[in-house]
Amino acid sequence: MDLLAQGLQLGSSVDWHAVAPDVILTVTACVVLVADLFLADRSKWLAMPLSAAGIVVTLVAVVSLAGQRRTTLGGAYEIDSFALLLKGVFCIIGLMVLAISFNYFRTGVRFQGEYYFLMLCSLLGGLVMSSARDLITVFIAIELISVPGFVMTGLRKNDAKSNEAALKFFLFGVLSTAVMLYGMSLIYGVTGHTLLSGIRAALVVGRDLSPAARSAVGISVPGDPIIVLSVFFIIVGFAFKISAVPFHFWAPDTYEGAPSPVAAFLSTASKIGGFVGLLVLMFTAFPDVADVWRPVFAVLATATMTVGNLIALRQRHIIRLLAYSGIAQSGYILVTFALIDPASPAVNSQALESALVYISIYAVMDLGAFAAAIAFARRGGTYFIDDYAGLWQRSPVLATLLAGFMLSLAGAPPMAGAWAKLFVFLAAINAQVYWLAVVMGANAVIAAFYYLAIVRRMFLEPPEIEGPVEVPFLLRTAMGAAALALFVAFIYPPIITTLAGGSIF
Amino acid sequence: MPEGYFGQYATIGIFVFVGVALVFGTLQLARLVRPNVPSYEKSTTYESGIDPIGEGWSQSNVRYYIFALLFVVFDVEAVFLFPWAIVFERLGTQALVEMVIFIGILAIALLYAIKKKVLEWL
Repeated sequence: MDLLAQGLQLGSSVDWHAVAPDVILTVTACVVLVADLFLADRSKWLAMPLSAAGIVVTLVAVVSLAGQRRTTLGGAYEIDSFALLLKGVFCIIGLMVLAISFNYFRTGVRFQGEYYFLMLCSLLGGLVMSSARDLITVFIAIELISVPGFVMTGLRKNDAKSNEAALKFFLFGVLSTAVMLYGMSLIYGVTGHTLLSGIRAALVVGRDLSPAARSAVGISVPGDPIIVLSVFFIIVGFAFKISAVPFHFWAPDTYEGAPSPVAAFLSTASKIGGFVGLLVLMFTAFPDVADVWRPVFAVLATATMTVGNLIALRQRHIIRLLAYSGIAQSGYILVTFALIDPASPAVNSQALESALVYISIYAVMDLGAFAAAIAFARRGGTYFIDDYAGLWQRSPVLATLLAGFMLSLAGAPPMAGAWAKLFVFLAAINAQVYWLAVVMGANAVIAAFYYLAIVRRMFLEPPEIEGPVEVPFLLRTAMGAAALALFVAFIYPPIITTLAGGSIF
Repeated sequence: MPEGYFGQYATIGIFVFVGVALVFGTLQLARLVRPNVPSYEKSTTYESGIDPIGEGWSQSNVRYYIFALLFVVFDVEAVFLFPWAIVFERLGTQALVEMVIFIGILAIALLYAIKKKVLEWL
C-alpha cells in the first residue's frame, strides 16, 4: 500500500467520538484565546469560567466513552479504560488548577487569558498522551505538555526569578527532548515501526529467531546494544520530565520562580504526563526488554526517593519543600517500574494498578498542598515555613486542611495517601523485590519527619502574627473538595482501586 | 593494516594525515590551475546581488523578531500546503475541511498578533 492510500484510509476513518474529548478541549482553548482578545481588561477574568466549562464538557465526553474500546488513526490513538481513567484525572487536575489560579491571576499578574489558553493546551497534551499508542503521537503529546509550561513559568515577565525559572526549565526541557527523540529515532531505525504494538512485535520476532536468521533479515534482539541504548535514552528523556534524580535540578528552582499555580500545574499535570508516557512505552512497547530497563528504574527510584527526601529535610520555603517532596513522590511511582516481570502477568498488572492508584491520589493531595500554600501566601503572607507557626490559632480550618494534605503526602492515615504508598509497597513485596520495599519504608519514615514538622509548627507553636488568614471562596472549595476526596478514598478505597484495577492494558 | 594494540593508533594516524593532506592538497592544486583576476566587486560581501551597506556587525530592530516568528509560522504552513495541493484531487472535500481547520487555527495566531498591535510599526 503506498503512503497516499494509507493516508486516505486514515483520513476517512477518524472515529470522531473517540477523539471528542481532545477536540472539545482544543476548541475550548481557541475560544478562550479569542475571547480574551475581545474582552475588556475589567472582564478578562471570564476566561476562567469559560475554560472551566470547556473542561467540564470534556469530562462529560470522557464519561460518555466509559467502558468502550476504540482504536483510530491507524492504531496511533486508542481509547481504553487506561486512557479514560487518565483523561479523567487530567480533567480533574485542570479544574482544580483553575480554581487555584483564579484569584492569583485576577489580581497582580497580567496575561490572564494567555495563561488559561496555555494551561488548556498543556492539559490537552496530557489527554493526547493518555491515548497515544505511537512513538510520534507520544512525542507530540509530551511536547504539547512541556512547551506551554515554559511560557507559563515565565509569565511574570518583570520578575527576574520567573525569567530564570523559565530559562532553566526551557534548557533542561529541550535537552531532554533531544535525548528522547534520539532514542526514539534509533528504535524506529531498528524495528521499522512507530506503532508501539509494531515495535513490540518486531522485538519479539527478533528474540525468537536464530542468530543466523536474525542477521539474514537484519532484525535486532532485545539484548542488542542499540536497543539497550535507545531504551536508555528514552528513559533519560522522560526522567527529566518527571524530575527523577539525577535529572531533577531544574524542578525546585522552576517551581519557586514560576507563579505558584503554575508550579502546582507543573508538579501534577506535567509530571503525570511524563509518567503516562513512560507507562505506555514500557508496558506496551518494551515489556520484552524489561531485563534491560528494570535495574535502571530500580536505581532511579532509589536515588529519587532518597535524595528527594533528604534534601526536603532542609527546606524552609514551602514551594521548594513541595518540589523536593514531589521528587520523592516520583521515586515511589518509579518503584512500580522496577517490579516488571515479563514472565508474570499477575505481578505486572499489580505494578501497573498500584502506579495508577498512586498517580491519581498524588495529583489530588499535591494540588491540595499547593492550594493551601498559595492561600497562606496571599495578601502579605509568605512562603516561609517558619511563618506557619500557630496557624491553628489563627485559621483553624486552613491549618486542619494543610495538616490533612501533609499527612496524606507522608502516607499516614486518615488520608488516601496511606493506601497509595501501601499498594506500591505490597506490589514490591509480591514481586519479591524486598530491598526496594525496605528502601521505600525507610524513606517514608524520613519523609514523615519533614511533613509532620509543618503540622507540629502549625498546631503546637505560638503564632508570631495575629489574625486569621483570609481564603477566597474558590481556593476554599478546591481544598475542601480535595481533602474530602482523600478522606473518602481512605474510608472506602474501592472507589479508586476498582477504577485502576479495571484500567490495565 | 598495522597489527597489535599500538598498531591501531597507527591506523588513526594515517587517517588523520590523509585527511589533512586531502584538504591542503586540493587547495594547493586549485591555486595552481585557477586564473587569478581580483577585483573590488569580487572581494565585497555577498548579499544576494544587492550592494552591501554598513558593517557585518550591524544591529537590527528587536521588532523584527516578531515578524520572523510569524514568518516561520506561515512558512511551515506552506510546507504542509504544497504536498496537500498536489494530492488534493484524490483526497476530496474532507481534505479541504481539514486544511481549513488547520489554517483557521494558524489564523488565530495572526488575529492575536493583530489585536496585540505587534504588526504596527510604532
